[in-house]
Amino acid sequence: MFGIIASIIDGVLVGSVYGLAAMGLTLIWGVMDVVNLTHGSLIVAGMFALYLLTDATGLSPYAALPAIVVGGFAVGLFLYWIAVHRMIGRPPLMSLLSTFSVNLVLVGLGTAVWGTGLFNVPVSLPGLTLQRFTFPGTHILAAVLAGVLAGCLYAFLYGTRLGKAIRAVANNRGAAELVGIPTTRVLSFAFALGAALACVSGMLIATLFPFTVLSGDAYQLKSFVVIVLGGFGNPAGALFGGIALGLVEGLATPFMPVSWILVIEFGLFVAVLVARPGGVFALRRT
Amino acid sequence: MNDVMLDVVSLGAGYGEVQVLWDVSLRVSRGRVTTLVGANGAGKTTALRAIIGSISPRSGHVVFGGADVTRLPAHAKVERGLVLVPEGRQLFNAMTVEENLEMGAFSRRAARQFAHHLDRVFALFPRLAERRRQLCGTLSGGEQQMLAIGRGLMSNPELLIIDEMSLGLAPVLVHQLFRALKTLKGDGLTILLVEQNVHLAFALSDHAYVIADGRVFTEGSPQALATRPEIRRAYLGL
Repeated sequence: MFGIIASIIDGVLVGSVYGLAAMGLTLIWGVMDVVNLTHGSLIVAGMFALYLLTDATGLSPYAALPAIVVGGFAVGLFLYWIAVHRMIGRPPLMSLLSTFSVNLVLVGLGTAVWGTGLFNVPVSLPGLTLQRFTFPGTHILAAVLAGVLAGCLYAFLYGTRLGKAIRAVANNRGAAELVGIPTTRVLSFAFALGAALACVSGMLIATLFPFTVLSGDAYQLKSFVVIVLGGFGNPAGALFGGIALGLVEGLATPFMPVSWILVIEFGLFVAVLVARPGGVFALRRT
Repeated sequence: MNDVMLDVVSLGAGYGEVQVLWDVSLRVSRGRVTTLVGANGAGKTTALRAIIGSISPRSGHVVFGGADVTRLPAHAKVERGLVLVPEGRQLFNAMTVEENLEMGAFSRRAARQFAHHLDRVFALFPRLAERRRQLCGTLSGGEQQMLAIGRGLMSNPELLIIDEMSLGLAPVLVHQLFRALKTLKGDGLTILLVEQNVHLAFALSDHAYVIADGRVFTEGSPQALATRPEIRRAYLGL
């Protein structure tokens, strides 16, 4: 019995990292109505950034976090200006196609450089042992960092002038322009912030599991499931959506082969879309 | 005419293939209230959008405070004190009353005097002070219009342009809003109104333009315009 509870707790720990990844995706979606299909590539970029930084410097993986935030932000700005800016305010299919194309380019570049083999970032952290079950230290620390970063995002969006401007642009872009908010700059900032979140979540995932250049698709799809669970365009809900997804994974793992987990997850995805199209924890969108 | 604050010269504008505005010229004097009147679809709102930069003018110039601002984006015009309170209020309805006012003071020149302007808005509309923590989507229509004007004032405007302020509001609220405008005029604020309530607008205004079919049909003092029977009938609904 305790094994199941432990499995659920571990699922929740990992799920909060999925929640962080989904936050990046849903922030961009909520602010500019763009489904960012480079999300998976950004997650993978975070993974490889961690691999390369720890390999080159020999530092603790967690010391790479600030550099990955800054790097992810810069990459996000670049992507915004080449793939997203001209699609703002156009039909959603346009930005979907442009980010999809950029994603293919990025995956192709990654494959050319690193191939498709498995990579692994060795992290040694003491775990926490309760009865017969040990929770890996990496899972605990990743969940704590995801929670802290989510809290920072929330404080930024609700407590700072720029954060409020992002919410204002999300709420009514035309009105934001009329009160003097430079909306284009705010959009590029919000996109870069979402990209940085994706990179950091990729970095945290790389401390948990081995990865390949092609890992992005699976985590991007997980982000969509999380968003549907957490409510569209609602970054706070994304963390809860991630935790909910982790809970489902943790609950299912002891009872079935791993390959069935994806079936369960996407079955849930479809079921939620049919039953509650706005998401389970959807805020009333005005 | 004395000190001209806004000088619009032969402005042309439209949407897609449709030209709505031809050769519109008008002037707004410092410290005065100017009104645009005209039938629905005459092009009043389009004129304001072209002036503020929500749509880009196809021809002509917008000169504000002596500088040509025709091609500046709307947010840069706010930074210079050219502020529009748009038709339909366009509030941030997922944000609180106070956050809406804070966003009004986003520009650098307004942010410096945030506290001063907030006091001024709350003195003008005490209802907003009572409801400062509420989401603005929960306000009544009249309160939302107060908030829209308050948000405009937070931008520290040199010229406040107000589009269809009284649309859809009960007469008692409309009177209340016009009293607030009178106070602002007394404080020396320059105002450009687009208004369907011609009676109240003319009582407040120093100068008026009649817009018809996308052009300036005539202009003059409100008193003079109101005595011309063809204008009363065709454009003013008096």
